[in-house]
Amino acid sequence: MSEKLTITIDGVECTCEKGEYIYDVARRNNIAIPVLCRSDAFADHRACCRICIVEVETRGRRKVVTSCVYPIDQECAVYTKSEKILEERAVILSLLAHRAPDAQRIADMNQAWGREGFERLVTIDNEKCILCGLCVQACDSLGTGAISTVLRGTEKKVDTPYDKPSEFCVGCLSCANVCPTGAIEYEQTATTRTIWNREFSLLFCPDCGAPMGTPESVRHAVGPEGELPTVCDACRKKRLANEMMQTYRYV
Amino acid sequence: MTEVDQASRIAEIIEACPADQRFALAALQDMQHAFNYIPEEGLSALAEHLGCSQAHLYSMATFYKALSLTPKGEHIIKICNGTACHLRGAMNLATELKRDLGIDPGETTEDGTFSVELVNCLGSCALAPVMVVDGTYHNKLRVEQIPGIIESYASQGSEEVADHD
Repeated sequence: MSEKLTITIDGVECTCEKGEYIYDVARRNNIAIPVLCRSDAFADHRACCRICIVEVETRGRRKVVTSCVYPIDQECAVYTKSEKILEERAVILSLLAHRAPDAQRIADMNQAWGREGFERLVTIDNEKCILCGLCVQACDSLGTGAISTVLRGTEKKVDTPYDKPSEFCVGCLSCANVCPTGAIEYEQTATTRTIWNREFSLLFCPDCGAPMGTPESVRHAVGPEGELPTVCDACRKKRLANEMMQTYRYV
Repeated sequence: MTEVDQASRIAEIIEACPADQRFALAALQDMQHAFNYIPEEGLSALAEHLGCSQAHLYSMATFYKALSLTPKGEHIIKICNGTACHLRGAMNLATELKRDLGIDPGETTEDGTFSVELVNCLGSCALAPVMVVDGTYHNKLRVEQIPGIIESYASQGSEEVADHD
């Protein structure tokens, strides 16, 4: 078992294990730190939105760190709402708000944490993406690898190779679901789903009629040799429960 | 270069590359060198060889300025637009090239002979303004000299083509 440490976050004493990230400890103790690019789906975090910055004081010295990837290695005091943090977070948020003005979540955060005085910044029109790369991380971790960041500098964006419909995309919507600002657009009708310029058909559960995703994503989930599910997850559980009841009824 | 030639050249480059992701950039550079650009077939074949996604390689190919996804001209003209060259009239050189070749920096002539690029500093500030054609430096350049330089490369290009025939 690893070493236990006691730290204070905003004056509250918290126990944690050595190597735990500040953000995780704070959340466990109901201390809210705002974040955008952090997802529970992954063990390694990107630390690129920079909203989760906090101040850490060890041996009388203070420094600003990103709490989502800062492992606690010694006893320290953490300040999530110090004047320095509030000021720096307001700067970061206003930059993000001008980068992605259409993202509602950033606008809300800017309401809560932002400050005045950034009117001179130029706004990018019709943009929601903050280029955190969570979507790319999601696609890669699924093993599909259909999207990546392309170009660089001010032209950087997330896209499929050659801006063409990707043969590797399975239409699972993981990228759109993990996106913190809802920047990845897709259309879904009663029978089709369109994402990254590619149209997919949809599978429906024969028992309850609920959509089960695209045929490609269902196949990808079970692997090339795997047995395809015949009904949706909820109906499978229902069937299993029925079977169990029949089996154990007379025991 | 015919399609069969290109396919076999791609196969050669990939053969020479160990199947590890860290060799991706080296292989992409080899392709850039062999074809003056990275063909789509090359990118997908390399992705399969290295066991990474095509999107990942595409990301690299669009990130590095040395790599290009559209065919570059036979002769690559780089105009230095670093501070010293800029002050000594690098943009006038670009305008003159536009007049002679009809292309802006970043473009390639229709016949595929020349590509013009604007680069940030070539490290030869004492020789400003500098223009590099296929690795040969042309120093302290005046606008009047440009048509002559272009002419020498254009005729050299046509001789080479004649040799192949």
